[in-house]
Amino acid sequence: MSEPAHVVELSLARGSFRLELALAWDERVTVIFGPSGSGKSTLFEALLGLHPRSRARVRLGGTWLEQPPPGRRLPPEARRLGWVPQDPALFPHLSVERNLRFAKPAGPEADAALARAIEVLELRELLPRPVSQLSGGERQRIAIGRALASLPRALLLDEPLASLDLALRARVLRHLLRLRDELEIPILYITHDPDEALLVGERVVVLDAGRERASGPPAPVLWSRAVLPLSQALGLENVFEGSVTGCEPDACALLTAGGLRLVLPVPAAAGERICVGLRAQDVLLAAQAPGPVSARNVWEARVTHCQLEAPDAYVHLEVGPGRERLVAKLTASAAHKLGLQAGSRVHALVKAQAIHRVA
Amino acid sequence: MSAAEVLSITTLTLRVGVVATLAILPFGVALAWLLARREFPGKPLVRALVALPMVLPPVAVGLGLLWLLGRRGPLAALWEALDTTLVFSWWAAALASAVVGFPLLTRACEQAFAAVDPRLEQVARSLGASPLRGFLRVTLPLARRGVLYGALLAFTRGIGEFGATALVAGILPGRTETLALGIYSRVLLGEDAAAAALCGVSFAIGLAALWIGERWLRRASP
Repeated sequence: MSEPAHVVELSLARGSFRLELALAWDERVTVIFGPSGSGKSTLFEALLGLHPRSRARVRLGGTWLEQPPPGRRLPPEARRLGWVPQDPALFPHLSVERNLRFAKPAGPEADAALARAIEVLELRELLPRPVSQLSGGERQRIAIGRALASLPRALLLDEPLASLDLALRARVLRHLLRLRDELEIPILYITHDPDEALLVGERVVVLDAGRERASGPPAPVLWSRAVLPLSQALGLENVFEGSVTGCEPDACALLTAGGLRLVLPVPAAAGERICVGLRAQDVLLAAQAPGPVSARNVWEARVTHCQLEAPDAYVHLEVGPGRERLVAKLTASAAHKLGLQAGSRVHALVKAQAIHRVA
Repeated sequence: MSAAEVLSITTLTLRVGVVATLAILPFGVALAWLLARREFPGKPLVRALVALPMVLPPVAVGLGLLWLLGRRGPLAALWEALDTTLVFSWWAAALASAVVGFPLLTRACEQAFAAVDPRLEQVARSLGASPLRGFLRVTLPLARRGVLYGALLAFTRGIGEFGATALVAGILPGRTETLALGIYSRVLLGEDAAAAALCGVSFAIGLAALWIGERWLRRASP
């Protein structure tokens, strides 16, 4: 059996906090999810080699960065990890352009990487500006561009959206999703927001108090019994990504990649790619096709399984032609009365007002 | 007192101050960085030793230097081998200035380095910069105000130095007689007008230093 592409085994103590991890994975885009204080940023610092007293085996992007003695341990400057810390930490004494060029190696490959980062992140107008005259979203994008211009072997993004308001979040997330799709290097993405974990990741690692609580594909992991209390507390909901197909004065229609059509009250332009959220408790289930109802979204659905977390029941559904995942939260007794079980056919009803834009 | 005499005292004073400041600059900056950024055993002791010349009577510092540089001191073999002595030369005056200026320089630099977000240095390293390169391209430029200010403090303190200088360099007209020493000896000789003239020069140098410092600081502010 071949070794996984990425290996992180780590043991480090910082005061009374201990981080103990043994991770191995192949997916390119991995989300590190957990509440604040769970050790996410410390994990990044250890990967970067900034904790001299940690014991670690780290393999990222096909290269061993660190092996326990007598193995070698690359110093931070030799690891070539594109790090975007939570506070973007731009160099305040340099212009945007000189920030971007801080690490840029010589050569056509690096020139191309810088040019591409400037294009994808839409940084051209910002280049001559001093760092002090930038908004939060601009700082974040420049920090990402600076990391990309260093030709990193992996990209480490630490809560890139946490400090931004909703409008900016949407803009920066759009850039991030584009980068995710265009880059070929591995990406590690820290967040405490379940929406981002669902939208960005191919794999999620859930950290809690310095330990791995669970890992795997984002939706099943975040909705799993072991993680649900944590992800619910952090705002877990259903998330859909799609293109706006048309707008009425008071509502827009969104079509997902799986062919599900959503009607929502969010103003958006036709053709725009947006991400929306829908809380599990806002999904109503009907055993039979309802007559005329005020809910704008009525989807045929198939129950995949029922997860009883007394006094609640989480009903996992497949909706739309592409069998997209939808979770409804009912009271256990309501689920019981409907006689729901795996394979049941139901209708899911959602008010347009319950759907909100997340990016 | 002739104008030539005033000029020679003034240039000697400036030379002593500049040489002393330039000599301690690299050491003060390096030590300040260590104190601001690294934890090591004995750090409080190092801090106290650095600050010591600030709290000791300058004459006591001078006596210590005299012993260190003297033919019967711990470095006697060195002076013997080199067949030279620093005592009672302008080098000794510069050394005395350096020693009393060093704590001021180091203090100011340490505070300036501590005020730079260590995250920026870490990011610089993640972007491929060695610790030294990160220091030169990030920390030092961001702390330059404090470093310039510390150097200016050390310079002004150094050229005004009297007690230690008098002991270790003596008051030798034309050789070690700086402005402070010159004023003192003129007063002893009853040459009040000459003393006043040298005071005037000191005043002008101090004012110029403050003015230059003010300009530097303003230009260096981010």
